Amino acid sequence: MKKLLLTLLLTVAVSAQAPPRRIISLVPNVTEILFAIGAGPQVVAVSNYDVEPPEVRSLPTVGALVDPDTEKIISLRPDLVITYGSQTELQAQLKRVSIPFFDYRHGGLDHIMVTMRALGERTGHVDQADKAARTLQAGIDAVKTRVAGKPRPRTLLVFGREPGSLRNIYASAGRGFLHDMLIAAGGEDVLNDIEKESAQVSTEMILARKPDVILELNAANRLNDADLKAVVDPWMTLSSVPAVRNKRVIVLNGPGLTVPGPRVVDGIEKMAKALHP
Amino acid sequence: MSIRRRIAIVVSAFAAFAIAVMIWAPTVGTTSISLARAFDRSIPWHDNVDAQIFFVARLPRVLAGGLVGATLAAAGVVLQALLRNPLATPFTLGVSAGASLGAMLAVTMRLELSVLGITSIPLASFAGSLLATAIVYALASSQRRGLSTNVLLLAGVTLNAFFSALILFVQYLADFAEALRAIRWMMGGLDVASYFPIVAALPFIVISFAAFAMMTRTLNLLSVGAEAAASRGVEIVKAQRLAFVSASLATGAAVSLGGPIGFIGIIVPHLVRLMVGADHRIVLPASALFGAAFLVLCDLAARTLMSPLEIPVGVVTALIGGPFFLWLLVKRS
Amino acid sequence: MRDLLWADNVSFRYAAGAPLVVEGVTVRLADGALAGILGPNGSGKTTLLRLLSGTRRPTSGRVLIGDRPLDQLSRRDAARQIAVVPQETELAFEYRAIEIVLMGRHPHLGVFTVEGPDDIRIAQEALAATGTSHLSDRFFHELSGGEKQRIVIAAALAQLGHSFSAPSVALLDEPTASLDLGYQLEISSLLTRLNQDHGVTMAISTHDLNMAASICRELILMRDGRVLAAGPTSEVLTPDNVRRLYDVEADVHVNDETGHITVLPVRRIDSGSRLPAPGSRGNPA
Repeated sequence: MKKLLLTLLLTVAVSAQAPPRRIISLVPNVTEILFAIGAGPQVVAVSNYDVEPPEVRSLPTVGALVDPDTEKIISLRPDLVITYGSQTELQAQLKRVSIPFFDYRHGGLDHIMVTMRALGERTGHVDQADKAARTLQAGIDAVKTRVAGKPRPRTLLVFGREPGSLRNIYASAGRGFLHDMLIAAGGEDVLNDIEKESAQVSTEMILARKPDVILELNAANRLNDADLKAVVDPWMTLSSVPAVRNKRVIVLNGPGLTVPGPRVVDGIEKMAKALHP
Repeated sequence: MSIRRRIAIVVSAFAAFAIAVMIWAPTVGTTSISLARAFDRSIPWHDNVDAQIFFVARLPRVLAGGLVGATLAAAGVVLQALLRNPLATPFTLGVSAGASLGAMLAVTMRLELSVLGITSIPLASFAGSLLATAIVYALASSQRRGLSTNVLLLAGVTLNAFFSALILFVQYLADFAEALRAIRWMMGGLDVASYFPIVAALPFIVISFAAFAMMTRTLNLLSVGAEAAASRGVEIVKAQRLAFVSASLATGAAVSLGGPIGFIGIIVPHLVRLMVGADHRIVLPASALFGAAFLVLCDLAARTLMSPLEIPVGVVTALIGGPFFLWLLVKRS
Repeated sequence: MRDLLWADNVSFRYAAGAPLVVEGVTVRLADGALAGILGPNGSGKTTLLRLLSGTRRPTSGRVLIGDRPLDQLSRRDAARQIAVVPQETELAFEYRAIEIVLMGRHPHLGVFTVEGPDDIRIAQEALAATGTSHLSDRFFHELSGGEKQRIVIAAALAQLGHSFSAPSVALLDEPTASLDLGYQLEISSLLTRLNQDHGVTMAISTHDLNMAASICRELILMRDGRVLAAGPTSEVLTPDNVRRLYDVEADVHVNDETGHITVLPVRRIDSGSRLPAPGSRGNPA
């Protein structure tokens, strides 16, 4: 379905012209993809939140998801703007001034490769994009092969909660990119049955579902032992949970761990190491 | 029947209902547990899932719900009498907006301090509620003769609007995940998974309830009118200050424990008045008890109705409270 | 007869810098008195009643109850001797008549004390004295204007306590203002009865000259916060004083047989900024 939509979109939007020379990307992970497929030199501006790869840090910024600076975007005379699916207003304005745009939305793990190839076609880097996509797929497959056959620990993948407590815990649920990463890394999602990308989980649910491993994503760049203890400590309340009892509450930290782009393999590697030490 | 007897009987009936709900609520949930196992001391704590579900997941949650529900309902009663307005809520005077702003700032500034097991968000929200209370109090008492309830109301409404704007501003500057987390906090949540936050909120709530208990008859007189109350022997300035400060303090503590859970403070007092009349000596304790039972039941619905998903408890109370509030407005006009 | 409530040269302003609304007023209410306070809107009648009841403190001067300065009494002690019937009573919640009357017992009860048999008996006597025993369990907001006013008067009586015999004063602020003719008469005769049969000392502010003439034995005329004239009704209620008070030309008739005084406004003298006076009513300042 997604592929069909993309092809449709491409046939409509791409009027078989020369590849764009001035690309503006408002979506940080897509910026990373652009650089990965060799379209980096064409990028002239990025969003306020872009930091990777380092080359983008010197580029002009043009707002972000909810507050794109339309005037600045147009004044930079782009011939392709990468927008997020929810930026409908920006898209309408771009249409009015006849600036083509690429409509991106997050999807599952496979969607990264799909996006790479689509952008490759769009930016005139078909071969490089295909190569990057293959490399990425190979990296993912390598992890998958390594963990194949091993028992898959039932895992709760937590990506947010109130600091210092077990309140308002959010975890990856039965579909989406994080879920796919967890599966690729050889885990079994304890929230498999919840057909959402994320869900709030109560302590009762955690106690009842008894995860073998709790993986917790933490945005901090570095965590010393004391920090780590502070992060893990609240979990000790739930001592009947196998993950807690067996000291398998594992904090994964560092930037870009969960960016749906070329660096995703690192994230999956880390998860796999945590799940299958 | 003497008045004392009537008060005792009605309040006992409400107490029985509240206690029954509080005993029943922790025995139900999305998981079926064996109570026999939960209370079996011979099973080591670390192996006893039933006990942990009962004592960690459910009991603190029910206790927090009872405490927050009782406090918000009682504070609603007090503020409605103080402002002589049955549509007032514990949040009318800006306390919850202050608390929300505090929580929002704690989330976006990634405050991770903790005092005696109380974490940054409850601390910051309590501080925010105190700040809001102080501002409204200062504004309303700048006039020489005690608190002006009109100024109180205006200051509260204005502060609510202003703090909401600040909240939106902070939210706009925040990261996506942070903004989402703060919004989630504002929907209320009682899954505290610990007794610390309850124990921490308790002293403020107990002090406020002691003040409430002393002012029940005064609240009757206040709801007839400040001038009339003064001529009947009420030290009006003292009484208004005590009512405002104690209700705000209690609300601040409750909100820091469970988030700004809406509508409890208006639905419960109204239902209680429909049942037992307007005498605050009955309305106040009955509302506190009924509020406790009501919020525990709402939270029970929140944790079971859409299982395995949870509905934020503030959404449940709003879904019940919104239509109720409208019905009330229509009925009054 | 000794003075029960005495305002000694009192002045009052609501806020610093605001004009004086009561200026140098001296009023003496003797035990058993039934005094009327007359004056145009904004003349300071309501404020004077607030000063007399002690809910406001005079900016200068003092108010004495018996021989004690009122401001030395706690609010509770003052309220046991001085009750107020406000012009209108608007309830925020739906109380029953008996509950309103029992609220009058507030200054006699401790913080956690509940009304006992004595209090209930006093409330019932107050209901009987105002002819409202049958309304006891009705909701206040469902009563007619006259019934409401009688309930509020009953509450004031309950406040003054045991068979209303202790030295006590009821201050009534335009008790008939929002009532029709029938209720006005009813309240007038109730007030006379309470004063004569139960010995309740009263001061009544009113715009109704004829009611004042028929029930009050003495009158205090106020204009612009000052006392224009005070004394026995027959001496004070003269055409000259009515003109000075309201800028209205009036015929004042004294019935030779009964001694009843009737006042008939004829015309407005100074048609300045004020609205035509006869029958017009408004909120006092």
